[in-house]
Amino acid sequence: MIEEWREPPTANDGRVGAGRSGRPARVLLAKTALDGHWRGVMLIARTLRDAGFEVVSLGMATADEIANAARDEDVDLVGLNVGGRVEVVERVLDRLRAVAGDVPVFAGGTVPPWAAKRLVARGIEVFPPGSAPDDIAAAARRLTGS
Amino acid sequence: MAEPTTPSGIPLRPVYGPDDLPASHGAARASAPGEPPFLRGAYPRMYRAKPWRIFQLSGYGSPEELNRRLHFLLEQGETGFIMKRDRVTNDHLYDVEHPEVEARREDVGQTGAVLLSARDVEVAIDGLPITESYAHPGAGVVQAGPWCLTSYWVAARRRGVDFRQLAGTGQSDFFLTYVGCLTKDQIPPHAGLRLNCDLIEFCREHMPRWVPVSIAGYNGADSGLNAYQELGAVMANAAEYLDAVSDAGLPVETFARGIGGISMRTSMSFFEDIAKLRAARKMWHDLLRSQYGVDDEKALALRIHVVTAGSAMTYQQPLNNIVRGTLMALAAALGGVQSLGVSGYDEAISIPSDHAHQMSIRVQQILQQECGGLVDVADPLGGSYLVESLTAELEARGWEFFEQIRNRGGFVATIDDGWLLQRAADNQATAAPRGTELVGVDSHTDDVAPFEIDGFAAGSDAWERGMERVAILRKERHERAAGDALRALERACRGRDNVVPLMLDALEADVTIGEVGGVYREAFGSWKVPVEL
Repeated sequence: MIEEWREPPTANDGRVGAGRSGRPARVLLAKTALDGHWRGVMLIARTLRDAGFEVVSLGMATADEIANAARDEDVDLVGLNVGGRVEVVERVLDRLRAVAGDVPVFAGGTVPPWAAKRLVARGIEVFPPGSAPDDIAAAARRLTGS
Repeated sequence: MAEPTTPSGIPLRPVYGPDDLPASHGAARASAPGEPPFLRGAYPRMYRAKPWRIFQLSGYGSPEELNRRLHFLLEQGETGFIMKRDRVTNDHLYDVEHPEVEARREDVGQTGAVLLSARDVEVAIDGLPITESYAHPGAGVVQAGPWCLTSYWVAARRRGVDFRQLAGTGQSDFFLTYVGCLTKDQIPPHAGLRLNCDLIEFCREHMPRWVPVSIAGYNGADSGLNAYQELGAVMANAAEYLDAVSDAGLPVETFARGIGGISMRTSMSFFEDIAKLRAARKMWHDLLRSQYGVDDEKALALRIHVVTAGSAMTYQQPLNNIVRGTLMALAAALGGVQSLGVSGYDEAISIPSDHAHQMSIRVQQILQQECGGLVDVADPLGGSYLVESLTAELEARGWEFFEQIRNRGGFVATIDDGWLLQRAADNQATAAPRGTELVGVDSHTDDVAPFEIDGFAAGSDAWERGMERVAILRKERHERAAGDALRALERACRGRDNVVPLMLDALEADVTIGEVGGVYREAFGSWKVPVEL
């Protein structure tokens, strides 16, 4: 699955510096809910690729699948597209911390304000609908130190 | 500064005049509403004869919670009801104990009601006036179509209601399933087409008041297809149904009469949307009459349900969305729809709260009761230089897109290989990050705290309660009857017999949704999303 979805960056013009291992910073994108609305996460994937990131798109995935992919792909950042309850996202965070250490995480999607506060309290940056793509790319640069 | 265009790219001039009235539409423009080609409306007296149906997407949580919300909406003045079902279990045909479901158990019931057997549907429709109401029992995605409809029909029959008394609609929509909201597990489009044809055939025989399937261009449009692409793709979908029905040896009128309701989207592109709805009726008529020889006027007059664009609703300053919902609803009414759902003002935050739902109904009631002339005059914008010009332009571009689809092997082929999905995705990606500056998002962003809302969340126990219900069901049902019914269903799926009667038997034997899904996955396999998004 991951092999099929992995693509080299489309426009790596050097805007993104090295990730941890000297290559372009690598971002894992996944959807936490079994809900295939794809517009948001697709736009984020394109935005990040255009900004020079290498994007691994996992699609709809469970907490274990996301955590294992973050470890196996050695990613510098995890982006979660949320389409359901915050408890499901929190389970993903728990698994990520257990399996992939302290990799930074940001999230977006239909996250009501009260749920966003819960995620922010765990150190997760949240981008609700209406967020500007440039702001998301800037956050990705900052979170990956690139 | 670039010339303004409609969202689909049609240039807008500063003013329109008599020279902009398209000559090609002279005859259509001169026809009356209710007359072919129905450009100006499906019925002669339009809303004087019958106001549009207030028809809101609704459903969450356990069967009891859906039941409560449906009663609430009908009390508020809704004139039909939709039983939106849970995306996790229903759209995937998974039981609650499926590992993919258990891994996200808190999500279960957040996007629709968890209805796992005919018994659950009995609870969900308890006390509802089902013989007087127009029902959409939640058959959204293709593979869930027969399951959702038969579960409702069986639940109604257990209440002593004859199938022939039931009025309502299926959906089994390809746009939702393979373009708008992809699932992790879905039967391939060709299998879906076959199931849809089975539903069409069954309803023709047994359900005189039921629309078996409907085409929902909305789901293509809200995923990125522009106005003329939505038109062309909807017509290509209809053509594919007509071809399939005709291949099955059924008269095309069978389908044409049954399907004559489609769903489309209005958004904030207002005039283009009004023109789109008018063009849709003419294109439908021309397709059926010229290309398929249909002359039954009831079949030729397209009835349209509109859902206002969920994607137009903003997360920021959500009460502004009541205004947006009103404008999109007004566009629908000016376009002459028969049925309308207004997205909730909390759409970007959650599924609708009671209050958001109530406001979606109030918007429509205000338009129907207070907006001077709107329901008194059919096609009030007929003859408008701008609207007539856009109508003709969208029709021409819509037919071009239709031809592109037909030249690529037809609608199902472009669904199956992801071509249509790619068109939607490309539109999303190539559009400027945002075409329009949104009020409250890009400008005028001062948020006033009292107008923040929390959104709505269903209870988090829908999964546990589903597990309990299934455990009881499996203990109480006749296990051998359920097994036999599932085997018979599988034989029908693998063969050519109509699956609907066997699905009815299976529901009557209290099979669960995941058991039916298991049969499908064995018989039909699973479609793989062919496009990288």
